[in-house]
Parts: sequence; structure tokens; C-alpha cells
Amino acid sequence: MLYALRKAVYGLLLILGVTFISFVLMVWFGPDQTYTLVGKNASAEQIAEVRHQLGYDQPFMQRYLDYVTDLFTLRLGSSNASGEQVSRILARTVPVSLALMLPGFVLGNLLGIALGLAAARRRGQWADRLISALSVTGMSISFLVIVIALQVLLSTPYGLNLFPVRGWQVTDLPSYLSYVAVPTLSLVLVTLGYNTRFYRAIFVEEAARDHIRTARAFGASPTVVMWKHVLKNSLVPIITRVMFSIPLVVISGSLLIESYFGIPGVGKVAFDAITSGDQPVLKAVVGLTAAAFVLIQIATDLLYRLVDPRVA
Amino acid sequence: MSRLWTHTRIAWPPVALLALVMAVAGCKPERSSEGPEPAYRVYRHAMDGAPSSLDPTHASNLYANFLAVNLFDTLYRYKYLARPYRLEANLADGLPQVSADGLIYTIRTKPGVHFIDDPAFPEGKGRAVRAEDFVFSIKRHFDPATRAQGAWLWQGRIVGLDEWKENGADYDEEVPGLRAVDDRTIQIQLISPFPQLTHTLAQGFAAVVPREAVQSYGQEFAVHPVGSGPYRLLSFNSAGAVLERNPRFRQEPFSLEAEGFDPDSQGGLGLEELADRVPPFADRIEVEFIAEDAARWNAFIAGEVDFIKVPVSQFDRVLASRDPPTLSPDLAERFRLNANLESGFVHTDFNMDDRQIGYHPDPDQQIRNRALRCAIIKAFDWPRRNEVFYYGIGEVFPGIIPPMTLEFDADQDRAPVLRDLEGARDLMSSHGWHAGNLPVLEYGFPSSVTERQMFEQFRSFMADIGYPQEKIRPLTYATYGDYARAYLNREVMLTTTGWTMDYPDAENTMQLFFGPNAAPGTNTANYNNEEFNRLYRASATMQASPMRTAMYRNMNRMVVDDCVTISGISRTLILLWRRELAMLPDRSFVGGFFLRFADPESAGGEAE
Repeated sequence: MLYALRKAVYGLLLILGVTFISFVLMVWFGPDQTYTLVGKNASAEQIAEVRHQLGYDQPFMQRYLDYVTDLFTLRLGSSNASGEQVSRILARTVPVSLALMLPGFVLGNLLGIALGLAAARRRGQWADRLISALSVTGMSISFLVIVIALQVLLSTPYGLNLFPVRGWQVTDLPSYLSYVAVPTLSLVLVTLGYNTRFYRAIFVEEAARDHIRTARAFGASPTVVMWKHVLKNSLVPIITRVMFSIPLVVISGSLLIESYFGIPGVGKVAFDAITSGDQPVLKAVVGLTAAAFVLIQIATDLLYRLVDPRVA
Repeated sequence: MSRLWTHTRIAWPPVALLALVMAVAGCKPERSSEGPEPAYRVYRHAMDGAPSSLDPTHASNLYANFLAVNLFDTLYRYKYLARPYRLEANLADGLPQVSADGLIYTIRTKPGVHFIDDPAFPEGKGRAVRAEDFVFSIKRHFDPATRAQGAWLWQGRIVGLDEWKENGADYDEEVPGLRAVDDRTIQIQLISPFPQLTHTLAQGFAAVVPREAVQSYGQEFAVHPVGSGPYRLLSFNSAGAVLERNPRFRQEPFSLEAEGFDPDSQGGLGLEELADRVPPFADRIEVEFIAEDAARWNAFIAGEVDFIKVPVSQFDRVLASRDPPTLSPDLAERFRLNANLESGFVHTDFNMDDRQIGYHPDPDQQIRNRALRCAIIKAFDWPRRNEVFYYGIGEVFPGIIPPMTLEFDADQDRAPVLRDLEGARDLMSSHGWHAGNLPVLEYGFPSSVTERQMFEQFRSFMADIGYPQEKIRPLTYATYGDYARAYLNREVMLTTTGWTMDYPDAENTMQLFFGPNAAPGTNTANYNNEEFNRLYRASATMQASPMRTAMYRNMNRMVVDDCVTISGISRTLILLWRRELAMLPDRSFVGGFFLRFADPESAGGEAE
């Protein structure tokens, strides 16, 4: 209990730190929305009027305090651009991003772990070299190239023309699978290289430890060694990586995926808010991402204790 | 072998799962737009940008205006097929009656027009549109709480409207110059003649909204539009908007003659089949916002959208010839093409407020600065700019009257857009400019690859007249909003912008160089020529006439002679749509009004 409380206090301080940095970078020094909101031939008075409405004429500390107060009281307000309540925007877009990103996220990590284990088990052999080379190749190819190539190959008459190029008219499971397939494949291809390299490094390090040698000396089969000893003892870094990716998947979504596949998720909304300076949306996304990180951190620490009792 | 199998087995389940998903999902779903009835007609339109708001008071860009004029009614619109563009009554029951002095406009609205059904109305039933709704809609532009963007159209022009704002924008307070005489009669009293008034009433800004819906939805009216246009909104998000035919839209049979049909240039598009039918012809409109060129093109080729503005990167693939632009034979079997000159132009303005390049208190230095600007203009290579960035099919012209306006002078001297390196060098040396004393030019642009390439090209043009590269510096801004803030605060020496005209009258481009419109107004060059200003004031109250055209052309020459702007080019837009569609899309003044006439089925689709 005391442990969780201590973590909560640390989390609170972390949220304050994150909100302060995000405020300075994205709000104080962020885009000024005034000039996109005023009409043509606006007078200096009209510009001042809009600046006042947006709160740009307030001093730094006042604006930061308002920002933090709004965040902690969940008074998210309305988008400056569309007028829609931010809570409704999030309620509409976060589930879409989640449904979009989750399959790719899960598959990318599972495949990464599987390939990492395979490579670690055959360290230095051709299989390891092949997997490593493919990983580096995957890391080297631009996300954009993968997205466009898959669209052309799988969704247009130039290729197989199996899936929709873009859109999100999801009404049932088959339509969901149809719309999510190419984005998922793109995401898996993009993340697989990074995931495999990361997990391979962990498994290689773990496989070199004394207790693995002891297990082998006791005659444990290679499969048992990899699954029971290497994988299980590598769970702490795996949990760290997976858990800390979750807020990005849930809140930030993926801008490129959503843009290129025409999917109305939170990633596109967040990007538009950042580039246009739509501060109510921006502070909600940044604040909730920070809060999610803190919660995830607390959950991660608790999970550490579960998988490794030595963690105090 | 067994070790390899172990390895393979580890990786196999996720791969198998992925393959299963692909097998289950591996067919394009029937789009939900394919409605239950066989005759259900769906038109799918791709736009290269997205509106953030559907409130007519925010319809400041092409995308927002496109949707606004379909969800709401405007008093006027442009005839679908007439070129040059001509006004047509829409919600109004005919063109306005204008008093002899040009100050009082009386407009009757059509009877029996209703707003769509919506919970904002008693019992959810849309009520009749009244003249008072128009008055309310225009007042909203002057209410600071609306944060409207269209007030500039009527500011300082309608008796009492500016004062209404100053007095606190109370909607129950009458504006003497903006009155509903009865339920169907609107009267507008102007401070001075404003011949373009009727054009402003054809814009999304002037769309008619019901007061009770605005009050009911508050700020969210922007995503919950309630209007009387041909369509009503089904859904709207960052990826697109879905519109459905408004079943209560007035029944007005389509007339080829009234819409300005020209059989010679518009025959063969299937438009003849539409005669006497009642628009809107599509039951459902799906507008997809696809900013990414590659994604837009792929969606079109895959048949997921019926229309696109072709990205420049695909011109090579699409066009068989450039002059005139024709469609390559393989695509001509499936699609139709229309090459539209944009209703606007791209130009790079010198900041005349900057003493290093613009006006200077010392008359001699002022003359030297003018010489330098003229030299820069002479060194600018328009054919290269056109070739590299616009596929060589843009139309370069001197000055600020774009080719698609009636006032454009096709016979004017083209010397100002012809490259003259010798002349530029002579001009510089004769006015004492050399590499050592040339000012540092700061060229502003929002961060993007294309903008950067344009800057580098400009720098290379200037290198040809000996302008040192290090003296031409980029001023990069993270967003267009930041860029706009900088040039509207007169912080940028060279500003490149595109102007899309609000109405087909060169007055709309003349005002870009009218002294009192200097930044933060639209005159980003901060040009202030007394004679130009005098002519602008005089012409602004004149109806179109040969005399007014002569005045515009005179003003155009002043801007050219004073070397205020490197101008300009009107881009050619290549529009492509499926042959089965009977329609003539337009990105210009007709804009979104064409949607009600788009028929997904009638054209037949045979290749010509």
C-alpha cells in the first residue's frame, strides 16, 4: 500500500513536470491560432479580440495555472477549431485508434518475441544473421514507403485489389478485419525490425547468464531453456517495453496510419491540434497521455513485483 | 531438422493468425454507402483538405465552403454550366431589386422552403425559412462570440451593422440597414454602392441558419449543422463527411438553358439526360478528406472515390498532351477530364514596409530600391517555375488580374514575365547595386519540401544576376499559422501566397494592393500608392463597365511598374471523374454548388 502511495506521489510530480514541459513547448511556444481564426482584412482590434478570447494575452503563470486546473478538474472545454467538446472528440476517436492499433501492436510484439527467441537460440548461425539482416532492412525502410507499397500491392488494381485503400466503415467483424488488415500489416512490418532487435538483445543477454548454463548442464532441452528460463527471466524488460507503448497506442494513435488510411482516430486529431495550435485538444491529449504514462508506470512496477519478487 | 522445426514453430502461430485474418477479410467489403434500394445513388468525392468546422461563419476556405453550400441555403449561387460565371437565384426568388442609387437591395425569398427536421425545433419539425433568418445569419458574423471569419465582406458597407457590434451585438436590436421587411422580404441598405454585394450572398459565409438551432447547439453547431440546403449531414470527422439528400429540398427541375449549357464544349458529358429532372440527383454524398497525394490517387484508381483533383505528381501518368491537356488513352476509357484554370493566382510580394527593399524616406534610396525589386523580377524565370512545379501547364501573366477574370487583358505587354538577365544586371549596376552592398533578402515560407524547393529555385534564379547565395536566406515557419502571423506583422521581406478569389470580379484582387488593406489586412505587400488607392475607391462603387475595366487595367500597370510583386501564375487544375457520372465538377466559384447536379448513373460511360 505504502509502495503504491509512494508511486502515486512520484506520479503526481511526474504529471506536473510533463504538463509543464508540454505547456512550454506546445502551448507557450506553440502555433498561434489567432491568424487562422481571424478573417481576411482583420483589423488590429479584431486580432486583439481573438487573442483575448483564446487567452493569449494572459501572463505565462496564469495560463499555466489555467492549463493545469483544467486538466486536473477534467474541464477539457471545446476545440477552438470545430467547437466540438473535447471529451466527445476523444470518446469518438480513441476507440477507433485502439481498434486500429491493437492488432498490429500485439502481433508486432508477439512476432518480435518469437523471432528474437529464434535468433538468440541460434546466435551467430545463419538463422540469426538472416533475422538480424531482415530486422535492419525493416528498420531502414521508411514507414511511408511501406504504407504506399502495401496500398498499391493489396488494395489497387495494380496489385491484388483485396482490401479497401482507405476508410473505416466498420459495421461488423468482416468489415473490421477488412479495414484493419492493411494498416495492421503496415504496422507489423514497421515495428517488427525494432521489436526483433530489441528482444533478441534481451534474450542473448539472458541466455549468457549462469542460471541458463546451469539449466543446460542439468540437461534441459533447448526449447525448455528458451521458453522456461530465458523468456520467463526476460519478462521485466518485455513488460517495460510493452506497457510503455500502450499510452502511445491508446492516446496518440498513429498519425501516418490514420492519415494514409483515412481513419478518424485520435492520432490525426492530435496532429491537427499540434500543427494548428488547438490548445484545448492539445492539452487534453498531452495531459491524458502523461496521466496514462504515470498509471502505466505504477502498473508496471506492480507487475515487476509479480514476475520478479526480488524487485523491492 | 528438428531444431529448425522448433524455430519455425515459435514464429508460426502469429503468422498463421495474420494469414487467417487476410483470408477472412481478403475481399473488399460492400461499402455501406451502397444503400438498400437498387436506385440508391451514391457519389463519392475526394477533397485534398478538410474543413474543421461546418458553421457557415467559419466557411473561409474551399473545403468548408464546399460543404456549407450543400448543407445550407444561400440566397444566390452560380449557374452550374455558364462560363464566364453568372449568378443565379437560389433561395432568393430572383435577382435583387436595386434602387437607382445602388444603395438599397430588396430580395424576395422563395416560398415553402423549410429547414431540415431537427430536435432544435418544436416537435423536431423543421420550420419555414424566414427573411429574419438571413438577418440573423449575417449578424452572427459581427458577434465577437461567434469568432466569425466573414465579417470583412460586409464591414463598413451596411448601414448600422458595425454599430450593432459596437453596441454589444444584441440580436434583438435592429440593424437599420439589414431588415426583414416581412417573412419573405429582405432589405439591405448600403453606406455606399457595393456592386459585388450579390456575389457575397452566393458564398457559404452568407448561408442561412436558424436561430433556435444555433442557440440549441452553441459552439457545437459547427459539427451539427441545421440548414435548408440540398443535403443534410449524416456524419463528419477528420476523415470525411457523409451527406444525405434533404427530402424537403425544393422541387426545381433542372434546366440546361437556365444553367448556361454549351453543347459545343459540354456535350457528351451526359448532362442532356438530366433535363427536367429534379436535383439533387445523388441520394447520398460521401466526401473523403485525403490530403496525401498517393493515398488520394490510389483510392481513385481502386474505385473508392468517383472524383479527384489529380495531384501534380500524377500529371505525367494522366496526361497524353499538355496543350490542351488531354487524358491518356488507357484512362480515357474509364474517366473524364476537365482542365480548369484556378480562380486565383500565386505571387511573391515584396514587403514595401521594409526599408531595405521597399519604401524609404530618402527619395534616392527609394529609387534604388525600386530598381533592385525590378531587377529581381526580371531575373525570375517563370517558364522554369511553371515547368518544375506546375508541370508547365500553369498560365503565367503579368500583374494581378488573373486570366479567368473578365477584366483580364490578353493583349497586355508580357515583358514583365519574360526573363531578362541582361536588363536586370544593367538595372542593378546603373543604380549602384553590387554583391557587396545588396541587402540580405529574407524569404519566408511554411515548412514543407515543396516550399523549400521553391525557395532554392528562387535563390538559383538570383544567383544568375550575381546575388550572393548567402544574402538570400530562408525564414522557415513550422505551420502556416506561424507564417501568417509573421507576414501579417510585416516581419517577412518576401512573402509567397496563393489567393483564391471570392467572386469573379477583379476588384477582389485589386483590394490586395489597396493601401488601407495593408497588413494585418490582405495587402501583404503593404503597397500604398495614392493614385492606385484613388482609382480603387472610385472603381469600387462602379458596376462592371468598359470604364471600370480600364481603371482596373490601369491599376494593374501601376503594380507592375512599381515592381511590388513577382506575379503571377494561375495553376491549371486537372479534375478527373468516372465516366458513368453525368456532371461537370468545378473547383472555382460554382464549387460545392455542383454537387446537387452530380448524377452517379446517367452518363452511360462509353469511351469517346
